[in-house]
Amino acid sequence: MAELSWLIAATALALSGMAWLALPMEVHWGQVMHRPAAQAPRTRQLLRGLGALALLLSLLACLMADRPSMAALVWIMLMAGSAVAVALTLSWRPRWLRALAIG
Amino acid sequence: MFQNFRQSMTWLHTWFGLVIGFVLIVVFFFGSLSVFDREFDRWALPDTRFDPQPMPSFDQVLLPALQKIEPDEADYAANMPLLHDPAKGPLTPRIELPADEYWAYTTHRDPVLSMGVGFGVPLARDPDGHNHIHGNATIDPRSGAAVRADQLKIGSEWFYPMHYSLNWPWMNLGIFIVGLAALVMLAALVSGVVMHRKVFREFFTFRPKKHTQRSALDLHNLTGVVALPFHFFFAFTGLVIFGAFYFLPVSQFQLKGLHDQHEVVEAAETGLPHQAAGVPAPLASVDAMVAQAKQRWAGRDMAGEVGFLMVHHVGDANSYVSVYRAGSDRVALVGEGIHFKGSTGELLFEDPPRSPVSEVNEFLTGLHLQHFEHWLLRWLYVLGGLLGCMCIATGFVFFVEKRKRQHAKAGVQGSRVVDALAVTTVTGMVIAATGMLVANRLLPADLAGKGDWEKAAFFGVWALAMLHAFVRSAPVAQARLNPAWREQCWTIAALAVAAVLLNGLTTGDHLVKTVFTDTYWAVAGVDLSLLVSAGIAVAVVRLLARREQAQCPTPAQADTNSSDSAAEVAHG
Repeated sequence: MAELSWLIAATALALSGMAWLALPMEVHWGQVMHRPAAQAPRTRQLLRGLGALALLLSLLACLMADRPSMAALVWIMLMAGSAVAVALTLSWRPRWLRALAIG
Repeated sequence: MFQNFRQSMTWLHTWFGLVIGFVLIVVFFFGSLSVFDREFDRWALPDTRFDPQPMPSFDQVLLPALQKIEPDEADYAANMPLLHDPAKGPLTPRIELPADEYWAYTTHRDPVLSMGVGFGVPLARDPDGHNHIHGNATIDPRSGAAVRADQLKIGSEWFYPMHYSLNWPWMNLGIFIVGLAALVMLAALVSGVVMHRKVFREFFTFRPKKHTQRSALDLHNLTGVVALPFHFFFAFTGLVIFGAFYFLPVSQFQLKGLHDQHEVVEAAETGLPHQAAGVPAPLASVDAMVAQAKQRWAGRDMAGEVGFLMVHHVGDANSYVSVYRAGSDRVALVGEGIHFKGSTGELLFEDPPRSPVSEVNEFLTGLHLQHFEHWLLRWLYVLGGLLGCMCIATGFVFFVEKRKRQHAKAGVQGSRVVDALAVTTVTGMVIAATGMLVANRLLPADLAGKGDWEKAAFFGVWALAMLHAFVRSAPVAQARLNPAWREQCWTIAALAVAAVLLNGLTTGDHLVKTVFTDTYWAVAGVDLSLLVSAGIAVAVVRLLARREQAQCPTPAQADTNSSDSAAEVAHG
């Protein structure tokens, strides 16, 4: 059961990590916030950092769940899936990502 | 010929991608289905819907079942005349061939167990060669009863071979075509990255509301880039797995002497007899050997079940038994083989620790063949495979969208043909697969040679889809949509729903039962995936219907469209 919790955590971290990397990008910031990106340079910088951190933590969670060789595969595939999920959210329901624009 | 490197890469990507795309999309799609091949088997063979079983007792269950197996008639007819030397004496009748080796194989997803016998060929042309006529069987390991042989395991015996050989066994041409496609795919990936100017800036970009050419390219880039590690590693490891095969079977021709000598030297080093002694001897308890092997694995901190078991030189004094571990707990496909003397059960040899090279090889092989037990990763592999399909399909759409207006003006049929072939390989392929499942449930269970009828249904339905795609393709020549896309999506939805309903009706394993009251995820998973596919197909139908209506264009509109795309689609 512990493995399952770690994998759920890894998935959540990969998803939010990808979202945090996408949000600060000029086009996507406009899509989600309906404001020019230039107005919030520091927030965007912060989110970028959060995104990278979340992806790293996601790897750690994968390592907690499985042996390293398996964890690496799970992590890479989770990132691919998360990127697609974020891209599709941006094109169909960009407002959903607003909750992640903290700071 | 080209002004710069990027242009030459674009040319390569466009044309090589188009040609091999038709092969690769089949490989990707059936590869994705093969991730759950054993589950498709359960769906197709209702008698085998029970829980996965460990390797049963050899002495009690496997040996009696193995002794019942007869040499395969087709194998005997085809190969016996090649292997037997008439100068030395008369041909041994089929059922009198002596058993020379036994094997049994199972995984953590197999309720039933596959096993087989290699029968020796007396008076062989080349007595040192591997002269075997084979006979295989599948049994219920709980009772030892045989599962009917003329039924087709649709997952592992049809979708899976489709993935690596296109089910085209003639001269192994299918395997070579898939290998070539994988090799070219690596080039297509590299050239794709080179020609894509905004890998990072457009990493998350998909603009569905733009015109088709733009949104298809967005989706092509998105699915190609985010799953790039997956695409690369699966093409590459696929080539690694078949490496020995693709490099021509040199060990059987130019290097045969070296190969045979190597076997002898290896046998001397390991102490595992290369040849039968010619002296009969009984087989000791294999169960005792299995118990000892399990103990030794546990001693190496690799406790596990038996995945593969083999008896060499059956009935001979030189007989030995090889026991291999099931690789369900790690990526690398390691057997950790332990070998015992058949007549006494004494330990002969343990596979030594692996060299770094073979460790890398086993990791790469295991990564692709996925014997491990990890349901999340399995689904992520399905996702990766389907992203590959999307990448190729949107590549086709982009190719057609980019050219069809020019072709319409010039009166050329090029984009029309490519579009029809795209319909055939994208929706037609899904129709073939779902159609086969429907046929499996419609054909009576006791029909003789049922598997052959199912194969005929698969290709028959696919051929019909192709015919339909070409017959309906005329609008493409006028720069409009081929209605076959929409109509075939309808067909997919109808067939998928029909398959789920028929499964419930003919076996009683409807979704309420398989999900809630008597949970059986192998069947429920196939049913649910079929329903999701039907849902997606219906959504696509609605989208395409809207596009088709909007697309009865005035000439002026058509012009603005094409100038838009010229400005926007910078490359290609």
